[in-house]
Amino acid sequence: MSGALKTEQEIEAGRQRLRLWVTSGPGLVWIMLFLLIPSAVLLGIAFFSSDDYGAPVLPLSVQPFQQVAGYSLLGWDPGNITIFLRSLGQAGTATLVSAALSYPLVFFILSQREDLRPLLLLFIVLPSWTNQVVRTYAWLELLGPNAPVSWAAHLLHAVPPDLGLAPGSFAVTTGLAYNYLPYMIVPLYASAEKLDWTLVEAGRDLYASGLRLFWHAVFPQTLPGLLSGVIFVAIPAFGDYVVPQLLGGDKALMIGSLIANQFTETPDWPYGAALTIIMLVFTGMGLVGFRILTRKLGGAEEVTI
Amino acid sequence: MIPRGVRYALSGISWPLYALLYTPLALVAYYSFAPAPNEAGHSLHAYNLLLHDGDVFSALRRSLILAIGSAITSTALGTLLGYGLCRFRTPNAKGVLAHIPSLIIYTPIIMPSLVFGISELIFFNLVHNATGMLGAGLETMIIAHITFQVPYVALTVYARLAGLDRYLFDAANDLYANGLKSFLYLIIPLVQPAIIGGFMLGITLSIDDFTISFFTSGPGSVTLPIYIYGAIARKGISPEINAIGTLMIGTIILLALIHFFITRHRDRAGQFAARGSIS
Amino acid sequence: MKFLSYIAAGAIALGLAAPAAHAGQPTLNLFIWSDYIDPGLIKSFEAQCNCKVVETDYESNAELEAKLRAGGDSQYDVVVPSSYYVPELQDEGLIQTLDHSKLPNFTNLATKFQNPDYDQNDAYSIPYQWGTTGIVYDPAKIKDPGTGWGLLFDPKMNPNYPFVIPKGEGRDQIGAACAYLGYGFNCSEKSQWIAAAKLIEQTKKRSNFAGFVDETPARDQMKSGLIAAAMAYNGDIGQCYGDGSCKSLKFFLPKEGAEIWVDTMAIPTHAPHPELALQFINFILDANNGATLSNFNQYASPNAASQKQLSGILASKLLNPSPEEMQRLVFLAPLRGAQYKLFNQIWTSVLQ
Repeated sequence: MSGALKTEQEIEAGRQRLRLWVTSGPGLVWIMLFLLIPSAVLLGIAFFSSDDYGAPVLPLSVQPFQQVAGYSLLGWDPGNITIFLRSLGQAGTATLVSAALSYPLVFFILSQREDLRPLLLLFIVLPSWTNQVVRTYAWLELLGPNAPVSWAAHLLHAVPPDLGLAPGSFAVTTGLAYNYLPYMIVPLYASAEKLDWTLVEAGRDLYASGLRLFWHAVFPQTLPGLLSGVIFVAIPAFGDYVVPQLLGGDKALMIGSLIANQFTETPDWPYGAALTIIMLVFTGMGLVGFRILTRKLGGAEEVTI
Repeated sequence: MIPRGVRYALSGISWPLYALLYTPLALVAYYSFAPAPNEAGHSLHAYNLLLHDGDVFSALRRSLILAIGSAITSTALGTLLGYGLCRFRTPNAKGVLAHIPSLIIYTPIIMPSLVFGISELIFFNLVHNATGMLGAGLETMIIAHITFQVPYVALTVYARLAGLDRYLFDAANDLYANGLKSFLYLIIPLVQPAIIGGFMLGITLSIDDFTISFFTSGPGSVTLPIYIYGAIARKGISPEINAIGTLMIGTIILLALIHFFITRHRDRAGQFAARGSIS
Repeated sequence: MKFLSYIAAGAIALGLAAPAAHAGQPTLNLFIWSDYIDPGLIKSFEAQCNCKVVETDYESNAELEAKLRAGGDSQYDVVVPSSYYVPELQDEGLIQTLDHSKLPNFTNLATKFQNPDYDQNDAYSIPYQWGTTGIVYDPAKIKDPGTGWGLLFDPKMNPNYPFVIPKGEGRDQIGAACAYLGYGFNCSEKSQWIAAAKLIEQTKKRSNFAGFVDETPARDQMKSGLIAAAMAYNGDIGQCYGDGSCKSLKFFLPKEGAEIWVDTMAIPTHAPHPELALQFINFILDANNGATLSNFNQYASPNAASQKQLSGILASKLLNPSPEEMQRLVFLAPLRGAQYKLFNQIWTSVLQ
């Protein structure tokens, strides 16, 4: 094809591609260099053997994954499965709690004057703009030993003397729900705002009870928002590190702390990397599952690039 | 729309929930006024200690450098990225290649911060061992913070551009022969609110983060959240820690409220001006 | 936009107002156990070397090792591992040999602390302080503490009050459980380790177990009354006896055996300022500085030249175990190679 002249269109397309690279190239390369390559390295480490001191060495091996499954020099141990189930349970409970709190809050805001709504929404989002450590340790003031709530719990014989509700599983669930509540409220609010009230009015003639009305006329319309909320809450809650560290006290380990321990206490990198892969697989499955579900249900509007 | 009875019930549930949202934060503030040892009542003792604590001020300085430095860079990278993808990508392109930019942009958003942090830790360590550059410290923290902010800025700018009329771009091309000029004189002013929004989002994300900072920090780069975390892990909560927390919470709430009312005021003024010009 | 520039201007002004690091001065990065060095001593070293010291704290050898592995070996100049960890760090290539010609004060060390089993010819490490690890409890809550590790491991001895066990690298914890089970503190058989691990797993399930908390933070929780019993370093308790913040707490060395240790100063393999690090080690070995150090943190000093300047509680029984106690105190044997890996897997499974 030597000597063939390029058509004007081809030249223009080439220019367009050049412009695309000049503008979006730096940002994309940055993310690739400082996130995609590093995480590929981390995931790659999972396929190495670990030496006596927990450093990755050749030959390649599936031993880290056997360790994840609970096989070690000591035989099989269900510890890791417990931790995975516990993390799923904690994240699930936190998601349920935040969804249950979000519905009344969202409809309360919608029932207010239009010019007040942004302010009411702002006050829900505001705590999440402070630092995660600050808003998490703040719960120790309420749930820690000798704190008011723990004292009440002790009077009800829910906890032994001197032992607060934090550290512990209850505190972790509470902390997760508190941290991620805005991520549930905002998408739910967005879909509730567009609610078709004529459907509700029509439903009011058909169904007697208020709850049934909610279930048949309101809930389906807010489902896309709820599903986005579930993703936004459940996924980060599942792998959270700060909340279990500050409010969990190592008594009931979650997957995040288990992974971090392999890098911050006596190290075992390949094992930590293998745990990370399993966590990402769970996260990915959740994400894809909910996306399919959302699409099937009509889909939430989102800005996609 | 909502029946009166239900409204009352909603208020009855929601106001206590609002109170609950702020109770822990309020307790932090309350305990920050604890008296000095062997005294009674309330005092500014903890704040007085803070004023003379060089470590806290250094940590504050680093937090500010980290937040502002990373947000400025990520705003530049993110704005260009959002603009480029909106303007120059072949519309309706098919195939795997066309999806790569989207995949790259969404990775930092979806990636759990723990995985993010540990990946960076290992990567910077490898690079440092091989080249002597990028030893863990404020520098590596800024790089990591830029990485998680860029997609949010890009999305904000992209959303704004996508909402604009495409003919504007054609008009720009007619007005300014050169693409750079059209970008500087037309696009930048048009998307300015999105750029500012992206920058603010960047700052907020940087201030909020702990996990990624924790794993990318070095011996001389303790920021406020890392300082607070370390102090709580070692000594438990003290009035001094509560005083730092109170100041952080107070600053954020104050800035957010000021910003909220200013932008709202500006919107109203804008609407008023628009109405005036039409009539 | 205006609002934004106000924030930026304000923030930058605040940032500039804060004291900036002294540019141009060399920095010594010290990585050390929390509460383990007198801030005054750091100040006087800074004055002497015309450098800046950045202190970072850790709570266990495990934390130290993980940090060194993840790039710390090229960030820190001086680290303070426990004696039995020195061969382990050496095997991993994380610490370097010391140039003794730069350490003229080495002769100040008591001869019994020179050329120890864990580090032939003091090639990699120099003793810093020494002490013991025992049990601290609150006599106001626990009336009958007994004399052994049962206070932590026997549910009948303390059925109600919250207690903790250190997280760390597990050697003391497994050792204590082994001692309680009658295998001796320095147990080294796999089956004994597993039995000890099972005991700790049982203990973990007790309702008054308040978590895995390392020794120094546990001491601080004891001071504020959050917990009633924990493992503790004798000097940590000496320190709070000294400043009066924990007068009511009691410390003992359990009858079945307990750990005696030497903490040492070492230089990571790729330390950025090895010369400064040697200067610092030599500075600590100085007779006056060694005494200041022990008088501050109330740990016994291996420095023979410092002994006459030691004051107060340092002469007490707490820091100077009696000959009878010495009989049951043991140095932990370093673990190497496959044994090290096996032990870590056992301890990891206890923690999770």
